[in-house]
Amino acid sequence: MASAAAAVAATDRTAPRVRALLAAALALPGIVPAPAAAQTMPDAGFIQFKYLDYRDWQPGARRMRVENPGFYVMSPFAEAWVVEGALVYDGMSGASPMWHDTLSGASGEGIHDRRAAGDVKLTRYFDGFSVGAGVAYSHENDYISRGGSVDLRVWTADKNTTYTFSYAGAADRIDTPDGAANHERKYVNDFLVGVTQALSQTAIVQSNLTYTRGHGYFDDPYKTFDSRPDNRRVLAWLTRLNRHFPDHHGTLQLAYRYIDDSWDANSHMVEAAWVQPLPHAFSVRPNLRYYTQRAAYFYFDPPFPTGLVFGQPYTADTRLSAFGAFTLGLLLAKDFGGGWSGDLKVEYYRQKSDWRAGGNGSPDILPFSARWIQVGVGKTF
Amino acid sequence: MASDHAIVVDGVPDALADAALAAAIADVRRIEAKYSRYRDDSVTAAVNRGAGGAPVAIDAETAALLAYADQCHRLSGGRFDVTSGVLRRAWDFRRSPPRLPDGATLTGLCALVGWQEVEWNERSVRLPRSGMEIDFGGIGKEYAADRAAAILAERGVRHALVNLGGDVRALGGQADGTPWRVGVRHPRAMEAGTAIASVEIADGAVATSGDYERYIEVDGCRYCHLLDPRTGWPVRAWQSISVVAPLAVVAGSVATIAMLLADDAPDFLASQGLPWLGVDAAGEVRGTLGK
Repeated sequence: MASAAAAVAATDRTAPRVRALLAAALALPGIVPAPAAAQTMPDAGFIQFKYLDYRDWQPGARRMRVENPGFYVMSPFAEAWVVEGALVYDGMSGASPMWHDTLSGASGEGIHDRRAAGDVKLTRYFDGFSVGAGVAYSHENDYISRGGSVDLRVWTADKNTTYTFSYAGAADRIDTPDGAANHERKYVNDFLVGVTQALSQTAIVQSNLTYTRGHGYFDDPYKTFDSRPDNRRVLAWLTRLNRHFPDHHGTLQLAYRYIDDSWDANSHMVEAAWVQPLPHAFSVRPNLRYYTQRAAYFYFDPPFPTGLVFGQPYTADTRLSAFGAFTLGLLLAKDFGGGWSGDLKVEYYRQKSDWRAGGNGSPDILPFSARWIQVGVGKTF
Repeated sequence: MASDHAIVVDGVPDALADAALAAAIADVRRIEAKYSRYRDDSVTAAVNRGAGGAPVAIDAETAALLAYADQCHRLSGGRFDVTSGVLRRAWDFRRSPPRLPDGATLTGLCALVGWQEVEWNERSVRLPRSGMEIDFGGIGKEYAADRAAAILAERGVRHALVNLGGDVRALGGQADGTPWRVGVRHPRAMEAGTAIASVEIADGAVATSGDYERYIEVDGCRYCHLLDPRTGWPVRAWQSISVVAPLAVVAGSVATIAMLLADDAPDFLASQGLPWLGVDAAGEVRGTLGK
């Protein structure tokens, strides 16, 4: 029996003559499917289990550790419907980041928390468009979030262009055991418009604009004096470009995101990744990401909030400081056949004030490091 | 293209499958109508009516098919020639009792064969001598199979098998992850379905060129529809040759060229690096595909 691989392998090692014939054949109109049809209904179900181990640290001190088993299932049913659901369970322990290197040792009380979250989404496919709706719920002992979303996707007949419109809303309730936050509420609305466009047989670009408007309680109840504005508006523009290089059998993935924040913590993110299939159904995806942000207008450098007017917003949360960060990652995936697949992802993150683009990072903050190790196993059915 | 066609899709909801199949079948019919040499309103008929006259305007699709035919002509040292159909005037495969043509008739018709003399570009084609003809046998049906597969894929079908009269294009294997299994029929099997081999294929194509499609037998000898453009006589070295290639149009044209190259077929197929299976004139199975 000849296998299908024979036909494919034949094209790789063939004489220039058949290459000429193939090249001529590929010039025939409409003979090759349009690339990466952005919108197609899945024709098989997929179930996946993932386990994430996250740790972060600063010099001399371990900080947070998160162990996170997650479960995802997606299945088409009744001809044109798709249902998706995810469950995630976080176990967090450790201390939140130190804000200043003149204080050594653990900062404040340790954190021990458990978070359980789940969401369900239903999508109906029609000829030329799909409509989806979902609900989400997340529970911690001090934080409950309930959310819902709707989306509409519309694609052209050739599927070279897909437009996406979505809305997501969440209502959160915060109650801390110590009473720092008591029946506090936060509401967030997300609006997204996006377009995905196939540029050629081998290139596809996607651009999404997301406007997020939130109001309510944004403070970190565990930080003394933390007092943030009660509303936030964020405009995020994300553009991704994937380009396949047939000669190398690999795909280059580029991304850029700009965030305009009403708190002034504007940021830029650029990322490059390369997906390379390897023999024996392995593939690797190395990636490098750079992130830079400026400080929120109410972030004050430690140790003393010079210039703070009492009653005005204030935070010392380093996540709202000015910094730059690099992420280096590697994903190794394997297709085991019979619908089974597995992957291992390792990412290393390092954040320093000095790495802020153009300088002027927030002073007196220790470098912050984190690493992710995630294993996943999936099965199509 | 008056042959048995079948398109199988797997692992898609009925509503999606129906819409995708309708689009694919509509395109197969479109190509059949556009390039049929039996229809007066086809592009083929229009080009042939213009033989010896002014250039006939063509669209981009027709120009692309001619460019592909030109590649095949060069690759085969002139044996694959879209103008050789005129030789069929001397060979009436439906006549009863069958009769062989006389040498003078064949010599005269051979003078009307010659792709290298055709004047063509992206916008027009001109057959220089009155009586010349072109047809898209060996390309058109296979091109339609590849396009049907592409249309199905664009509409979300990931697993499909397109069979246009024995030229088969596979897409994505079967939904359960196993490849499609395509039987290669025995060229002398009277009942359909008797296979000499089976090819497992997930993505790619299998096409067969054989002497069994249209032929006459005179004094125990079989004369088939595949005619050598240099002599006007049918090729006789092979009963059939099947080729596996990424695209049906490549598999089909390579199989046809191999039949026309007669004894040189094994060397030619080896140079192409494509898996193949042939039954030679003595009935012996040869080739690189598993037997």
